[in-house]
Parts: sequence; C-alpha cells; structure tokens
Amino acid sequence: MTLFRRRLQETGKEMCFEATKMALDSAGLTRADVDTVVCGTAPDAFDGVAMKGEYLLDGCGGYRKPYTRVFTGGGTGVFSTIAGWWHVASGLADVALVVNEEKMSSCQPHPQSVFAHIWDPILDRPLKPNLVWIFAMEMNRYMTVYGVKKEDIARVAVKNKRNAVGHPCAQLADPNITVDDVLNSEVMAWPVQRLDISPPSDGASAVVLASEDFIRKRRIKDRAWISGVGWCIDSTMWTDRDLVFPEYVARAAKMAYKMAKIDEPRRQIDFAEPYDPFDYKELHHLEGLLLADKGEAPTLTREGVTERDGKMPVCPSGGLLGVGNPIAATMGMKIGELFWQLTGQAGERQIPREVHTGVSQAWGDLMQYGSVVVMRA
Amino acid sequence: MTFLDRTTDARRFRHWEGNVEADYIYTSGVAGERFFVALRDEGRILASRCTSCDLNYLPPRMFCEDCFAELTEYLDVPKTGQVAAVTVAYEDRTGAKLSHPQVWGFVIFKGIRGGLLHRLLVPPARARAGLAVRPKLRPREARTGTIADIDGFEPVRF
Repeated sequence: MTLFRRRLQETGKEMCFEATKMALDSAGLTRADVDTVVCGTAPDAFDGVAMKGEYLLDGCGGYRKPYTRVFTGGGTGVFSTIAGWWHVASGLADVALVVNEEKMSSCQPHPQSVFAHIWDPILDRPLKPNLVWIFAMEMNRYMTVYGVKKEDIARVAVKNKRNAVGHPCAQLADPNITVDDVLNSEVMAWPVQRLDISPPSDGASAVVLASEDFIRKRRIKDRAWISGVGWCIDSTMWTDRDLVFPEYVARAAKMAYKMAKIDEPRRQIDFAEPYDPFDYKELHHLEGLLLADKGEAPTLTREGVTERDGKMPVCPSGGLLGVGNPIAATMGMKIGELFWQLTGQAGERQIPREVHTGVSQAWGDLMQYGSVVVMRA
Repeated sequence: MTFLDRTTDARRFRHWEGNVEADYIYTSGVAGERFFVALRDEGRILASRCTSCDLNYLPPRMFCEDCFAELTEYLDVPKTGQVAAVTVAYEDRTGAKLSHPQVWGFVIFKGIRGGLLHRLLVPPARARAGLAVRPKLRPREARTGTIADIDGFEPVRF
C-alpha cells in the first residue's frame, strides 16, 4: 500500500508498481508466481485516461498474464478481492494478484466535477446537483427516522481520524481532533460538514490471493483465509431506495455470512472495517452488516463499543476518514487491515486482544452497491 | 417507434444538452521526470535499463514490466534511429481536410525496447519504413521539458 496523499508525483502505473512490489515481497513471491491479475479502479475520468485498466496493466504486473479490470464504484475497494478470489476458488488460478489504484488529483479543479455526471442526465442533471447533496439527504433521513444527534455521528470521524495516527500511509490522521472540531467545520450541504467527509486522494494498494495448496507448498507463514464473500446492488433509481437501511449491504453480508457459516454475526465477528467515506456511513453500514440493530449504531459509538479497545472495534485502520479515500485503493484499509490485524502485524493499530474473524465492506456506485468479505486468522 | 425512425439529429427529440467539464493535470512521474529533464537541459534521449533482463526501455519506466525490478539505471539511446512504420494524414479527427498532409512515424533504436511516435520531417513521397533518422530538437531556450521539445525526426542523409 502506497502513501495516500492529495497529490503524488508518481503516475498511476508507478503507484501500482510500488503497491504490487510490496505485496509480492511480503508474500515472498515474484511476478512469475502470479497466474492472474485483477485490477480495480474507478471511472477513467478521474485519472483522465481512457481505458485505464489497459493503461495501468504493466504497473499491476499484468504483462502477458490473464488480466481483468473490474469496477463497482467505491464498492471496488472490496469487490476486486472477490473477483480475485473467484479465480482461485474456482481452481483456475493458484495465485491471483489484486491491484487497486486511483489518481484523483489529475482531475481539475476537483474530482467533484466528474462525480456530478453520475446523476441521471435527464431527471437530475439539469438541476446541477452536487454529489454531496444526495449523501446529505441520506444522512438527514437517517437522523430524522432514528432521532440521531449530529454529535453522535461526529464521534465516528473523531474515532477514525485518531485511529489513523498509527497508519504509515495516512493522509488525515489527527491525534487531537474533537467532536467540536467536526461540529464547527464548514457546512458543505447540511448536515454534511467538512470533517464528516473523507478527502480525495492519490494511492494504490495490492493483495496476493493464493490457494491453500500453494500456501502450504510454499510455506507462506503470513496468511489469513477468506471464508465468505458477498455482493449486491440495489435499484438503479436512488429515489426507489431505502435511505435509512442499506438493504443491499445486508443482502451482501448475509451471502458472505452464509458461506462463512456465521449465523450470529455480533458474536462470531471480532472486528469490522465497514466503508466510511462519510461518518454516518460507518453507522449505516454497521447496521447493514447486522453488527448493530437498526438505529443502534450511534449508541454503540457513543458507548465506546466501536473503539479499538471496545467490544467490537470498527475501522481500527483509521478508515477512509483518517487514512484517505482514493476510491478503489481503499482496499488497503478494508482488505489490508483485516490481513494485518488477523496476522498480528498492525503495529500501533493492533487491536489489544486476540482476534480471529473480521469483516470488511465497501459501498459504491450511486449509493446502491455493497461488497463484503469475511476473513479468518 | 423510435427504432424505425431514421434521423441523425438527436435535437429533434425532447432532449437535454450537457457537457462533462473536466480538465486534467498529469504528472510525468518518477521515470518521466528523469526523461524530460534530460531532454530539456541536455538534449539527451534516455532509456531506463533492466540489467537482469538485459532490456532498455524507451520511454523509460521506473520498473521492468517483466521481472518487476525497480529500474534506476539510465542510458542514452543511439544517435540514429530507424523508422519502423509511417502514415501520412490528410484529414483531422473531425474529417476536415488538412492544409498540408502530415507525416508521422514510429521510430525505433537498436538495442532499445519500445520507441517514439513523432513527426517525420520529410515530404510525404519520402516517408518510408527503414529510413535512418535522428531527432531534431528545438533550441535549448525554447525547450520546456515536454515531448514537443523534439520538433520531429529528420533523415540522417538528405
């Protein structure tokens, strides 16, 4: 995983190379060991390169290999690992390399100008909406239905930006941030304020997936096992979705839990890395992942349950709010953190008790897509 | 039935006109920085070298796409290159006639993997694969560190 920064000198290919090299080195493998490569990366319009998958392939180690680019919006942060997994689980490959990249700083003056075009071109775009509006409405709906206070949502931003202090790649770690800082930050589209949102970033991350036989044969010690995967997409019309409960995340989670033989997620899962591009989304997603009852996530947060030393640590990596949000490359916190926590390599971020099972989730397309991976030590 | 209507004018239907406003700043990256600074300041064309694969990449890359080593060694490409392929453009990308035909070539160098796409500074009748060429650089004071610091490739002998 590379540094996450607002602007990096490296090209997208070069960032991919750095992340891929780190992943291969840490597994003790070379490019020759890799059977297939999956690249996860967001719309071409961010990097400003048409056919970005083809453009990035040499940095991803895809040269003269079976190579696929996948994209499910922000959901790519977890989905590309699922796409890598099915290559190995099907028996087609022994080793699949998954590389995610985003270079959002190319897009001027701000990637928001590209995000503006994911709205329906006839019904919405003539009104010149800003993407933040739609999240503001979802957040407002959640607050209204459950009577959630803004300060309980702000606690998520505080927790994650503090958790990110121990992350070597972090862009927005802050050991001293307070709830008041969040509540006093500029209002972008009420109730969304500046510190409720993760920043756009440049960055890349990579993971190596391998079959059990290969791991045993090569005696790879640092490994965690993918025991469940799930993904689901909701209605194409955002106006047709439940803005309070992310049903698509719940369905993806149930699919993954079934595969992982989890029937009591709150008891059987030790920690979670849900997608947190906005602070309220962590709460939404905890409920979607069935790790909190509907409307209960703000209370769990207030009571410290989701702190790193709490009963159910959530985003011990620092998440997107603290580490940064280079869309697909957030795989570094979502899949990467599960691996590092489960193998005891999270350093300052290590959860201070033994953990055996973690779940990660990403969220994407136009707030309608959920991807979930369960991993075990 | 819209499918059976033949029209080339979408404005005949109720419509909304939009444009995707997006401008870009592309960084040239680690290897690109080395390449363009050497071109601008010293008039050199550099390739990066992979010693383990015995490969030299033009344009230079910071890594070998094959063995995946990080590349830090650079060398000059030979002074003379060879035209591998040519095309002569008569229309622009909108289909409008160009005032003068443009001659484009793909130039390769002995011992170098890759090559450069650039203008060929010859009349269309002389454009052919196999031509020995060398880069014609803009004067030092006019060079800014972009691919346009090379005016084009000219034949070694007239």
